[in-house]
Amino acid sequence: MELPQRPFTILISALGGEGGGVLADWIVAAATAQGFPVQSTSIPGLAQRTGATTYYIEIFPEKKDLLGDRSPVFALTPSPGNVDVMMASELLEAGRAMQNGYVSPQRTTLIASTHRVYTISERMAMGDGRLDDERLLQGAKTLAKRALLFDMAALAESSGTVISAVMFGALAGALQGAAGDHGPGALPLSRKACEDAIGRTKGAEASLKGFAASYERAAQGAQERSVSPGKRWQGKSSVRVRQKFPPETHRMLEEGVTRLTDYQDADYASLYLDRVDTILASEREGRAGAAAASLPAGVENWRLTSETGRYLALLMAYEDVIRVADLKTRRSRVERVREEVMAKPGEPVVITEVLKPGVEEIAAILPASLGRSLAGWAQRSRKSLNVSVHLKTSTVLGFLLMRSLAWLKPLRRSSLRYQETQPLLERWLAAICTAARQNLALALEIAECGRLVKGYGDTFARGRGNFVRILDTLVEGKPELGATERATAVRESREAALADPEGRTLEGSLKRRGIAPLPPKAKPLVFMKRPVR
Amino acid sequence: MERSFKQEVELLKLGNGQTFHGEGILAVTKAMLQAGVSYVGGYQGAPVSHMMDVLADARDIMEELGIHVETNASEAGAAAMLGASINYPLRGTVTFKSIVGTNVASDALSNLASAGVMGGVVIVIGEDYGEGSSIIQERTHAFAMKSQIWLLDPRPNLPMIVRMVEKGFELSEVSSTPVMLELRIRACHVHGSFQTKDNVAAKYSRRNPLLEADFDFGRICLPPATYAQEKHKIQVRWPAAQQFIREQKLNEVFPGTDAKAGSEAGIIVQGGMYNVVVRSLQQLGLADAFGAAKLPIYVLNVTYPLIPEEVAEFCAGKRAVLMIEEGQPAFIEDALNGILRRADLQTRVHGKDVLPRAGEYTGEVVLAGMARFLESVAPSGVDIDAVRDAVKALTAPKAKAAELFGAPLPARVPGFCIGCPERPVLTAMKLAARQGGNYHVSGDIGCHTFSTLPPFNIGNTVLGYGLGLASNSAIAPMFGNRSVTIMGDGGFWHNGLTSGVANAVFNQGDGILMIMANGYTSATGTQNIPSSPHQDARHTRDMSIERVLKSVGVKWLRRVTTYHVSEMMETLKSAMNTPYTGLKVIIAESECQLERQRRIRPIIASALKAGKRVVRTRFGVDENLCTGDHSCVRLSGCPSLTIRTSSDPLKVDPVAHVNNGCVGCGLCGEVAQAAVLCPSFYRAEIVQNPNAWDRVVARVRAGVIGWLQPAETDRDARSAP
Repeated sequence: MELPQRPFTILISALGGEGGGVLADWIVAAATAQGFPVQSTSIPGLAQRTGATTYYIEIFPEKKDLLGDRSPVFALTPSPGNVDVMMASELLEAGRAMQNGYVSPQRTTLIASTHRVYTISERMAMGDGRLDDERLLQGAKTLAKRALLFDMAALAESSGTVISAVMFGALAGALQGAAGDHGPGALPLSRKACEDAIGRTKGAEASLKGFAASYERAAQGAQERSVSPGKRWQGKSSVRVRQKFPPETHRMLEEGVTRLTDYQDADYASLYLDRVDTILASEREGRAGAAAASLPAGVENWRLTSETGRYLALLMAYEDVIRVADLKTRRSRVERVREEVMAKPGEPVVITEVLKPGVEEIAAILPASLGRSLAGWAQRSRKSLNVSVHLKTSTVLGFLLMRSLAWLKPLRRSSLRYQETQPLLERWLAAICTAARQNLALALEIAECGRLVKGYGDTFARGRGNFVRILDTLVEGKPELGATERATAVRESREAALADPEGRTLEGSLKRRGIAPLPPKAKPLVFMKRPVR
Repeated sequence: MERSFKQEVELLKLGNGQTFHGEGILAVTKAMLQAGVSYVGGYQGAPVSHMMDVLADARDIMEELGIHVETNASEAGAAAMLGASINYPLRGTVTFKSIVGTNVASDALSNLASAGVMGGVVIVIGEDYGEGSSIIQERTHAFAMKSQIWLLDPRPNLPMIVRMVEKGFELSEVSSTPVMLELRIRACHVHGSFQTKDNVAAKYSRRNPLLEADFDFGRICLPPATYAQEKHKIQVRWPAAQQFIREQKLNEVFPGTDAKAGSEAGIIVQGGMYNVVVRSLQQLGLADAFGAAKLPIYVLNVTYPLIPEEVAEFCAGKRAVLMIEEGQPAFIEDALNGILRRADLQTRVHGKDVLPRAGEYTGEVVLAGMARFLESVAPSGVDIDAVRDAVKALTAPKAKAAELFGAPLPARVPGFCIGCPERPVLTAMKLAARQGGNYHVSGDIGCHTFSTLPPFNIGNTVLGYGLGLASNSAIAPMFGNRSVTIMGDGGFWHNGLTSGVANAVFNQGDGILMIMANGYTSATGTQNIPSSPHQDARHTRDMSIERVLKSVGVKWLRRVTTYHVSEMMETLKSAMNTPYTGLKVIIAESECQLERQRRIRPIIASALKAGKRVVRTRFGVDENLCTGDHSCVRLSGCPSLTIRTSSDPLKVDPVAHVNNGCVGCGLCGEVAQAAVLCPSFYRAEIVQNPNAWDRVVARVRAGVIGWLQPAETDRDARSAP
């Protein structure tokens, strides 16, 4: 009798707590029930604690009783180019499997969920440190003999079960779809055997539901992925935007107008457009100048205007206490929270705001002169006087307290923060305009620096500090720098500013441009020297 | 305990001719019962934690057989327990992870090995080496050699593992020498099957106690006995063991299918490496699925001692052999060369010349090494070009992926679980350093060792389990400001109390000790320790760390709930700044969240089912207030505090987001306040199965608030995404 030359191998890559072990057990049970010799092994160890973990299964696709006294030798470790089915519960882990050579065009069916569970390095980045999913998806399509990719986490949630059940369904479905695909030694795991395996474990009902849903999807060979698209803009742009600005900029500018009208009022919004107008004008000049030569890459489609429009809107709509109070007391917000925390209809939700306002926040909304002296006093006496506040905005009193702050909106224009913000913005815009006339790429780099100013308290202070530092040194200083070189310098230092909170990388990159580093900041308090006995 | 084996332990009751389907380490436990052990012990640690967990769940079976089971205080305690087999015909087994566990046990092991044993002793070693390992990479082999303990390394399939456990006891008895059974990580977790036998009740046990104490100075480790013992090892125990190994055919020879090729070359492997070697031969087209290979294979199920006659027999006439020995130094390969030299055989020994000297021998590594060996030896009948092509084809996808991805993908390092009580302590330490300047932190072993990884990167040195404080004793006096030591409660009971606390108090060390008291040895699978909040009937309750500290004379002592970040920060600062120059201890307590969730989930579920009022707490982020700086992530690192694309078209950076994994521990809120981050965080209490009053209140509030709320146009809604 012709016996298969090798076992059928399945490698499962999962994250701690996702039930990868249960999945492996199900597969083993199903194979055993069908009389196939099977072995599974795993590497739990540290992976139990949020790391990545793998389970490896080998099944000999021939009934035990046909083998007589012979028994197959199963390997305990997977080897590159020797995996029939590679399963990954998350997209990056699928990528890792490819990186390790476990996905081969000759053999491997790749079954992977397309959702991402971000690594700590991706999450802790000060800007956007996320890996580009497209690279992984492309890799999957290039490297796998057959790629079965869809958002299994979503399917698990919608069928009220865990991802392992959905993955099992995908496997069973794929094997049916691929029957004969692997030629001799293909694995005929019957749907029934799989479902029986699940049936013997707890929570079977939900698991079976997820299994079935995924099985169907896999059998027809699912091949899409669900991206969550940013909110579509279907609004109609206002007359002024429509008439004065190029179509490419409409969406961004209209967002800005809406934001600022909502933030303050129509006048504030038109101040915004006035400012963008000056940018547009200088971009026109810049283009005219560059017209001889073609436009430098990256500045097409009036990007300078729309990108400046983006950051200007965010910077003009800075988050002061008034804004925070306003946004936290809106109708839409309550609904959003209920949805976010998955409160069922009829379940009351008590919302407690976790706040720690200090002198800084109060000074910011006081009339400039008053605010300045308060802030000055606080600095001299090294007091921040921040107090932890837990405010229940779902109660009438708490809501009133919060809402009353929002009612200060009309006073904002005279507030310290407003008075301090506007000149800085003007300075930044002026720098952009000047640059735009000689080199659009440089202007765009300066505009992008707007990204640095964000957050509250220390985060905001740090961000604004870096922003000003770059303006002082690379934008307005260093006359000897040529436009292109300056552009590179600005980009580098901007990225450096987002590399570490302490600003070491930024100072390093400035140093490379021959700019003396700032003296180190003094610590608010210093630990006592160890008393010598 | 992280995992329950209530069902699996039923497998331990199987009798003659039945079939066991299950995990490797469980099969070892069954084999032990079939061999009639009198006592079992050990200390938890991957990959043998499951054995301790199984024993805990199998108490009834153990009692029925009169077996004494003990979860020892440390590996040293476990090894010392084996002393019972020195004077008495008692079979005993202990288990621990290696190399670290063997290090801790080595004092007792040396004495045990010198005295020699009457009852069979099998030490089950979880060789935590290679992928998935959590410790330094060293070989247990060296310990076997220096103390003369026989080392078994069975082929990783259950029938063979079980056979070696049973034979191990016999070998131990005929040669009055303790035996180590080495199981690698994957072998411990391998699922397979074997034919079982009835369990055997030991001659002497808790049910049938010994009657007379035996005295024999020859078994005391004191000169002159020790001199005699060393000679006895060489003159009596060694030859006895070799004879037994040969007669019982513990090592195996699988003859090659190609007589010609087999006469020219062969392969010698550690038992544990057999399967991966066969697989590599399969992939090169030199073996079938059942292990019938072109070249003969000599399998060392006993890697210490070697049997020179067997080796010579196998090598005689061959041009070359390949020794596949994982790890370094290459003890076996070197020994082979010696044996062949003495036998005056010219067979060439390949090994570390074609395989890497260090690191795990995975399928990929062995395949490459095997190919190199075949190329250099070129046995007749082996198509070298075919071998080369096979390797190329198998390794091509990896190269292709590297080319596609360019840079290596971000690593997914282990971290603290959702709601882990240890994370807040590290947050406090990070914030304290930010305010007061940085300080040296001596780390220890436990989940908290992850503090050295992002986002915290706290912990400058790690010296061993429970050794944190001891490792700080020379650092403390060398620094101007005070240094901090982190120690878990597991490490505290393991030996931190004596070598750390007692020592520091005695020598008046001016350090700060942060004890992470989460109630269990969580890193090994949340096994109980003396100070665990919940103990079963067989263990003493309420052994409090605080009382112990007071009684050894710790004067500066604070207890802080870990989740109170600000309080923790203030406490740490005061420890840094107090004029008191003795040891300052902060007990950071809160129960391990894994264990807590495991306990309360079923309770909550049943309450909900019964229609009872249950309040679910979790945290969230107002995404329109989050500006995407992620300071919160850098200070927390909670898996449920993640990021997502902002739905605000103006924002380019992803915003923070609390996913549904949140258990409402409150750390993110505490961080937002302690570090004065941002007002984006909110706590939501969802009242499930609300009572009439809840509903009325909710309705009234919603009514009034709704009336006060400004009308929102879709423009507003859009601008506040």
